[in-house]
Amino acid sequence: MTTEPRDFGREPAGRLIPWWRSYLVLLGAAWRSQFQYRANLFIMILSGVAWQGVGFAFIWVVVAKFGTIGGWSLSEIAFIYGIRLTAHGLFVVVSGRIFVLDTVIQEGEFDRYLVRPAGALAQLWNRQFYLPHLGDLLSGLVILIAAATEIPADWNVLTVGFLLLAVLSGGMIEGALQVIAASFAFRTMNTRQIRGMMDDIFSNFGGYPITIFPIAIRLILTFVIPLAFVAFFPSAVLTGRSGGLYVPEWLALMSPLAGPLLVLLAREVWRSQLKHYKSSGS
Amino acid sequence: MTGLMAYVGARLEVVDPLGIIHVSELVKDFRRPKRIKGALGGLRTLVTRESVIKRAVDGIDFTVDEGEFLGYLGPNGAGKSTTIKMMTGILQPTSGKIEVAGIVPWRERQRNALNIGVVFGQKSQLWWDLPLRESLQIIGKLYAIDPARHRANVDWFVELLDLDPFFDTPVRQLSLGQRVRGDLAAAMLPEPRILFLDEPTIGLDVVAKERIRGFLSALNREAGTTVVLTTHDLDDVERLCRRIILIDGGKVTYDGDVESLKSRFVQQRRLVVKLAAGVEWRGVGIPGVAESIGDEAVELAFDPAEIQVSELITAVLADHQLTDVAIVEPELENVVHRIYASAGMA
Amino acid sequence: MSGSALTVRQRLAAYAGLAKIQISAQTIYRSNYLVSLLGLLFKVYLLKEVWVAAYPHSRATMGHGQQISLSAQIAYSTLASVQYFVFNPWTLSGIPERVRNGQVAVDLARPVRYTAQMTFGQAGVMIAGLPFVIVALPFAILVGGAEAPASAGAGLGYAVSLVPAFLITLLTGSIVGITAFWTLETDGTSIIYRMVAQFFAGALVPLWFMPGWLETLASWLPFQATTYTPIAIYMGKSGSVVSTIGLQCVWVVVLWLILRLLAVRALRRVALQGG
Repeated sequence: MTTEPRDFGREPAGRLIPWWRSYLVLLGAAWRSQFQYRANLFIMILSGVAWQGVGFAFIWVVVAKFGTIGGWSLSEIAFIYGIRLTAHGLFVVVSGRIFVLDTVIQEGEFDRYLVRPAGALAQLWNRQFYLPHLGDLLSGLVILIAAATEIPADWNVLTVGFLLLAVLSGGMIEGALQVIAASFAFRTMNTRQIRGMMDDIFSNFGGYPITIFPIAIRLILTFVIPLAFVAFFPSAVLTGRSGGLYVPEWLALMSPLAGPLLVLLAREVWRSQLKHYKSSGS
Repeated sequence: MTGLMAYVGARLEVVDPLGIIHVSELVKDFRRPKRIKGALGGLRTLVTRESVIKRAVDGIDFTVDEGEFLGYLGPNGAGKSTTIKMMTGILQPTSGKIEVAGIVPWRERQRNALNIGVVFGQKSQLWWDLPLRESLQIIGKLYAIDPARHRANVDWFVELLDLDPFFDTPVRQLSLGQRVRGDLAAAMLPEPRILFLDEPTIGLDVVAKERIRGFLSALNREAGTTVVLTTHDLDDVERLCRRIILIDGGKVTYDGDVESLKSRFVQQRRLVVKLAAGVEWRGVGIPGVAESIGDEAVELAFDPAEIQVSELITAVLADHQLTDVAIVEPELENVVHRIYASAGMA
Repeated sequence: MSGSALTVRQRLAAYAGLAKIQISAQTIYRSNYLVSLLGLLFKVYLLKEVWVAAYPHSRATMGHGQQISLSAQIAYSTLASVQYFVFNPWTLSGIPERVRNGQVAVDLARPVRYTAQMTFGQAGVMIAGLPFVIVALPFAILVGGAEAPASAGAGLGYAVSLVPAFLITLLTGSIVGITAFWTLETDGTSIIYRMVAQFFAGALVPLWFMPGWLETLASWLPFQATTYTPIAIYMGKSGSVVSTIGLQCVWVVVLWLILRLLAVRALRRVALQGG
């Protein structure tokens, strides 16, 4: 078999495609890569469930013993926990292992993201599809749906819509904060510590009614690290508690906007920091 | 020496209309914050203003015409990788102008990416866990390549690079040479106008090197692709490049064709002979050959323009029994070093 | 393959060496350790606030037929968190990687029993963390709370019971590690183990507050002997100290036998398949 030599001429064969299409192409590639090792699929997903499930088991035992925590029943706390975990699950499923950015930069792998006609972040996010993240999302959904049917909320188009937007926004809040922190890796900083700490705060404190903490901690978790907007404010609104909060009611009602706003901010920070990329190694 | 000086510091006043790459007065400084070690060092590094500035590229000018095969050479740390990274859109210049196929790379990174192919010898751009075939399919989708063109290109590459034996093997299981061939196919699939190569043959055996050189030559000749090659392998340069640019200390020190560089700076070849056990060296008796006798082997330095290799070998064999003969080409590092020495820069 | 060719002294030196390698490997990750310490303090603080919010107006609550005051409960959760943290550093053994890339052959060639290598390597990881914990302990008490042991005997009993508790943690960790010979898997199993062990150890909630059936289940598993048991002794809520520690020792023996059994089979597997 002999093939005709090709004359490429002056027009390249490629063209730019919309960001969401390149994201899907890359996601498909990451997904297929992961399934090359299908042996431990089940264990990996189960490990995500175990990781997230233990935090909930603790709440369940405490409430089984005492009836309520800070005036919130088991199903109501489960509702907070479920929103926070589903939001987290959405973020990690979409973003893969953004936690590896420092390594990716140090080893010069980031270079190749910049010579492709696709967003650098989309390529980083789809570097690997990490299966335990599916377990996070799965346990979040199970807890959220079970809790939503138990709590005394009035489910109609408006409230369900608010819940869905709140969950999406919650995932955006966590994602935006992680991206902002990660951006500083372009200035050859070690950002792993601060991102790990943020992850710790989110997973420890995110699933509880924030009103059980003293006012100083509440304000930090609202205005410094806007964790309260992820799950607590939406739950307070949907369980009819938004009137007696430590913040004006309108602020709690606006929580589905917090995610998109932070995403816009994160985009600017990422872009401005990307200019400082030095491409270490040779 | 005077000939060399004519090249050094030459500036292109008129923009060549044929040029596909224009670089003028290009400068890149690296500002590195002074690192503070210890607990929360990262945070303190961010807060302090102290930094160290290093100029990696110091006012480079050149133009590359469409269809050229350019060797972009220099010792380690000369600034060649930094220039390549600016041309490919990875780094933003500190000052100066750069245009690749009419696009300012750092400003329109993704559009620039459509016009260029990039292969870094040591770093793969393929999907590690997937077969090469699938990597090429993904690239086809990512660049939205028309299926007919995609198929024709893949067929041509499979033949030219002999990809068939490992086309369905996961990339992580490929040898280095196979992987580089795969990377070349992946880089060229979207038919970019310019191909940038950084040490594509490093660590490869002779056969693999030959195949890659054959591919690059065909690509340049048949497909009309402009190639910019960075390498330490003088054979790559001799076989492929019609023009070379040498840089050192962030400046262009030579820009011209390979032949004049070689004739000017690489006059001597060395013949290394190993004598059979018990044989004593008696000399060859040809004028112009410098002999140096070592424990294991004898080295004969000669100018190939004046003495034929065959003549020299015949003379050696006439008087000696040998176990091995080798002609040693000068290393590019040596050549470069000699050029700098003669230009009074080393 | 057993270490019968070595004297006791040589063997102890070898064990110490293996532990030392792990200690120095850990100190490289010092900054990561600091972050995980902050994570510990967050956890201690969170648990305290949850107990404060759950307890009805700071009154004592019945658990296990005894009165558990709020301050006692906070002291429990602080001590349990810190102790669990010390005993369970993030790096489990590197066995799965070593099996996968064949380095396990090097380990097997060493004149020290493989199970001992694993166990002492893991002990090294824990010891490396101790200085950090000494620094963190006052902070943990500050954000959580503490109480003196119930009596001098309880304090002594606590100190003694830490030894079998530590051994049980090492052994269960090693047993999970050795399953890598069959599963060739790293992350998943160790995460599941960690989470299940943490819960049944009583590191989050003491057995005395678990619903009846869960408490029964937990008390039949070895994990409670690593965290809950020593602290229950400390607080004078364990019943007879001697028989409680005796039970811990039974667990040590049982787990050791299970580990030996698995190790023999795992090594035979390597011998048959060449790793």
